[in-house]
Amino acid sequence: MTGRARGVGGSVLRPDGLAKAGGTFVYAGDLSAPGMLHARTLRSPHPRARIRRVDTAAALRIPGVAAVVTAVDVPGVATYGLIVADQPVFAATETRYAGEPVAAVAAVDAPTARRALAAVEVEYEPLPPLVDPEVAAGPGAEPLHPDGNVFREITLRHGDPDAVGPVVVEDSYLVGMQDQAFLAPEAALVVPAADGGVDMWLATQWLHSDREQIAACLGLPEELVRLELAGVGGAFGGREDVTLQVHGALLARATGTPVRIAYDRVESFLGHPHRHPARMWFRHTATEAGDLVSVHARIIMDGGAYASSSPAVIANAVTHAAGPYRVPNARLDGLVVRTNNPPCGAMRGFGVPQVTIGHEAQMDRLADRLRMDPVGLRVRNALQPGDVLPTGQVLGPPLPAREAIEAVAARPLPAALTAASPVTARPGGRGAHADLARVRRGVGYALAYKNLLFSEGFDDSSTARARLELDADGRPVATIHSACAEVGQGFVTVAGQIARTELGVDEVVLRPADTGVGSAGSTSASRQTWMSGGAVRGACVAVVDRLLARVARRLGLPPEVVEAPRRALVITGGEIVGAETGTRLTLAEALAEGPVEAEHTFHHRRTTALDAHGQGDPHVAFAAAAHRAVVDVDLDLGLVRVVSMALAQDCGTVLNPLSLRGQVEGGTAQGLGLAVMEELVTVDGVVTNPTLHDYLLPTTADVPALDFVALTYPQPDAPYGVKGVGETPTCTATAAVLAAVRAAVGRDLRRVPVRPGDLVDLADPVDPLGGAPYLGNKAAWGQPGEMERG
Amino acid sequence: MTTPGGPSTALHRPGTVGEAVAALAAEARAGRPVELLAGGTDLVPALRTGTRPPAAIVALRRVLELRVRGAGADTLTIGAGVTYTELAGWSLSPGLAATSRVVGSVQIRNCGTVGGALGSANPRGDLLTFLTAAQAEVLLTSEDGSRAAGLDDFLSAGRLPGELVTAVRVPRPSGPQTYLKIGGRQAAFPSLVSCALLVDRVRERVCCAVGGVAARPWRVAEAERLAAADVDWSTGTAPAALARRFGELAAAGVRAASPLGEDPRHPLEYRVHAAGVLAARAFARCLTARSAPRRESAP
Ligand SMILES: Cc1cc2nc3c(=O)[nH]c(=O)nc-3n(C[C@H](O)[C@H](O)[C@H](O)COP(=O)(O)OP(=O)(O)OC[C@H]3O[C@@H](n4cnc5c(N)ncnc54)[C@H](O)[C@@H]3O)c2cc1C
Repeated sequence: MTGRARGVGGSVLRPDGLAKAGGTFVYAGDLSAPGMLHARTLRSPHPRARIRRVDTAAALRIPGVAAVVTAVDVPGVATYGLIVADQPVFAATETRYAGEPVAAVAAVDAPTARRALAAVEVEYEPLPPLVDPEVAAGPGAEPLHPDGNVFREITLRHGDPDAVGPVVVEDSYLVGMQDQAFLAPEAALVVPAADGGVDMWLATQWLHSDREQIAACLGLPEELVRLELAGVGGAFGGREDVTLQVHGALLARATGTPVRIAYDRVESFLGHPHRHPARMWFRHTATEAGDLVSVHARIIMDGGAYASSSPAVIANAVTHAAGPYRVPNARLDGLVVRTNNPPCGAMRGFGVPQVTIGHEAQMDRLADRLRMDPVGLRVRNALQPGDVLPTGQVLGPPLPAREAIEAVAARPLPAALTAASPVTARPGGRGAHADLARVRRGVGYALAYKNLLFSEGFDDSSTARARLELDADGRPVATIHSACAEVGQGFVTVAGQIARTELGVDEVVLRPADTGVGSAGSTSASRQTWMSGGAVRGACVAVVDRLLARVARRLGLPPEVVEAPRRALVITGGEIVGAETGTRLTLAEALAEGPVEAEHTFHHRRTTALDAHGQGDPHVAFAAAAHRAVVDVDLDLGLVRVVSMALAQDCGTVLNPLSLRGQVEGGTAQGLGLAVMEELVTVDGVVTNPTLHDYLLPTTADVPALDFVALTYPQPDAPYGVKGVGETPTCTATAAVLAAVRAAVGRDLRRVPVRPGDLVDLADPVDPLGGAPYLGNKAAWGQPGEMERG
Repeated sequence: MTTPGGPSTALHRPGTVGEAVAALAAEARAGRPVELLAGGTDLVPALRTGTRPPAAIVALRRVLELRVRGAGADTLTIGAGVTYTELAGWSLSPGLAATSRVVGSVQIRNCGTVGGALGSANPRGDLLTFLTAAQAEVLLTSEDGSRAAGLDDFLSAGRLPGELVTAVRVPRPSGPQTYLKIGGRQAAFPSLVSCALLVDRVRERVCCAVGGVAARPWRVAEAERLAAADVDWSTGTAPAALARRFGELAAAGVRAASPLGEDPRHPLEYRVHAAGVLAARAFARCLTARSAPRRESAP
């Protein structure tokens, strides 16, 4: 392919695709260094306990054990955290969740390290854990941490909070804890440096945030902590928090030897924060004609033991709680609480998948109540640019929400199951042998919108460097340097496409992402194509400007051309051409004088924080998506098979159609997983299923081929008009599958993931919410007086 | 020698059953914990997480005599080294074939063995449930000689130190057989609830076991009695209502057994219900007029 075909807009293949498919890609866990030690982490078995004593002497006596570190060995700040530094590097006097690190060891090999863990003596005094967020936030609950038990409470009031329409639907919903379950567990290689610092190769989402936290805990200046991204096998938010980084660095410094620290599958399930479980209550009111009058919601999220990104997740949940609908009056309350459950933080969708489950179930019930078509009700109420959101923010263009739901509704439906269909096509597959007469089909819809980029006034930025020069053979080559973490989203592909388009070269080298260049921000919030794509583009544009100015100067072109060379000169087909000035020279000739380099820092438009009533201009932009799910349910066994998924998504300008497809298929699969199978189950704070045997992920047998429609209205303030695409489909997939199951079984569903026992008639059924339309302990909320009026 | 258990783990690679039991005995005499390695689908993950740190491993792959299966006049004998993939295509035992086809994924079926399933004795193990219904015998060999044990006895007593499972023996089929199982997704899942059912048209009876509800695979005796009495044995068929009744009795039977540990997502109530549905379905598959003479067909 030529530079143009491999530029922006083409389905350029991933540079690492073949290596990943063929098994030769080097992941962080594959790294090694001569003489390196193997490190493992000791974790608390108790969700809450006082630590009476930690004795490492016996572990240190084991031959081959090089070092054991605990809380007393942390030279700098004892805690870290993405937003608030409330999480200890190692639990010192108290453990707050089952799985919390207490010590780490380095030894000559992994089995010796494991034996050493068993030899570390920790005397725990178990305390009764607080695992119910409503209790933990309630009056009289013991504070689990000096910072208290409420991470954040948001009270959003919009329009007339007392306005109600004549048609009312109300219920509560429960969402379980999903895990990112990326396939390559956490790993890092840490090498102590002669200057007293450390060099670290690791799988992460945000190198610079890691560096800041690691340096603080090590008590080192940031320059002495150098990070380079190692091969990442999936992230989905689960690598946004620091996990093993500080532990590995402490061990490398203690031993003066390279250390590889890595998690196995069980540790990975315990080691990173998960998606927040949520309890949500909604009351929607509407006119008889089907126009929404008000939405009232209360959302309680369980943040687990430490803050992670809980404060930002609850803001997303509350501000999106009414969905992509015109809602003149709203009371939306959110509370995210500290408990002794595993910490929860960022995961694809970031608070929006949970509320989408709630608002979309409510829209279906409202449609039933009004005897309206669920698509029609959504179309009628769908937001349009210019509408005012519950935060008071005015929705900017484009947001084709209505178009998205109409588009999926228009897709052809899949054929019915017949006796001729293979048994593997029935719910439960070959083993269940479902009785065709007892299989019922259901069709369900979900519409959502999701904010793009960081919110609430955060001045987010991304920096990149571009350099254009001649290689050893005299051919022009571009080098791009960005700290953007490639976690599978395709920045490595898109960065090259952008450079080829802007610089008119074929050959682009992407330097490893490291802390030798400014921060690119996090690979999260659907932000990197926009933010780091914008930074790469800006750097390339600056390189072109400099090169053209240099050429203009050298050729003695008039000063106004030197000042603004783009007016007279263009790069096309590997040449610099100026029609008016009669210029024509090859890029190679232009670069003979030497390389041209530039750095650019990209910022998005400024947003504002939420005020005391949840009002402001908090989100940079939004993307809409709609899914239509078709399911078959075995009515006797309550087993669900998803037959088809159609998705229409607001994508902005498409930079790489193949990459886009990867994102929307993955997002759909992950949302489907939450609907029917993915749940990390805790009992009294202890995770009961931390293996891929018991935490099931959807396979190719569970995820149907995606019928995908891209809606491509350019986003005006984004480079090339892009929108982030990774998270939006995850928000709608779960809700659509749930709606389809509801349609098939004819009963309202209040729990996600849906369990087979919820779909069949049992003699003694278990109601997940105990039948209560209200969320239990009202006193858990800030203003009980107001709650009563709800 | 480096093995998955770490540099200090000794690895034996016997070529015969005799050498294998000799290695087991030697390690037992030395008081060293030893593990047998067959397909490794259970053992290797346990070694990797360090939950089982053996001092020695006896790898069975080279013991070819464990990898044979054969048919006698009244019985089928399946070597401990036979894999699920090999069983999945075995026309002599439609029930074992049906069971093996729904174990794990292709990769697991290619590696996992009969001996490993008995060695792990996972109470939800698919093969265990089928073998319970089939009234299998387990053949064991040690340095002291060989013996046969009923599956129930084997499961309650376990194997003696130094013993190797060499094979299992089941009666030759004399009627339709099936195996049904449900779990968390469409394919490649561990069984949540399962049901094995074998029709014996010679002795005019039905054997049925349920997995995933009771603490071990559970024969549903009441339901079996109903079938023996009420199936039309001249045609080997039964009306739909009898299948329903069979399912109800199967559910009641397994409800009375001492239960398998709690599963927070799938309460006992649901698993009992599902057992009843699967038993009725298995019964109908093997005994309704339409399908009576057919064998478990590979869909
Ligand atoms: C991803 C995955 C999916 C799975 N899915 C299923 C499933 O759907 N259904 C199911 O039932 N199981 C499933 N399993 C479990 C597993 O495949 C079976 O239990 C298998 O039969 C074990 O056989 P193996 O040859 O791999 O045993 P190994 O792992 O080699 O050994 C297992 C145990 O048996 C002992 N052992 C091995 N051979 C003998 C012998 N000859 N005599 C005495 N002891 C012996 C070993 O010492 C060890 O303790 C799954 C496993 C995995 C990893």
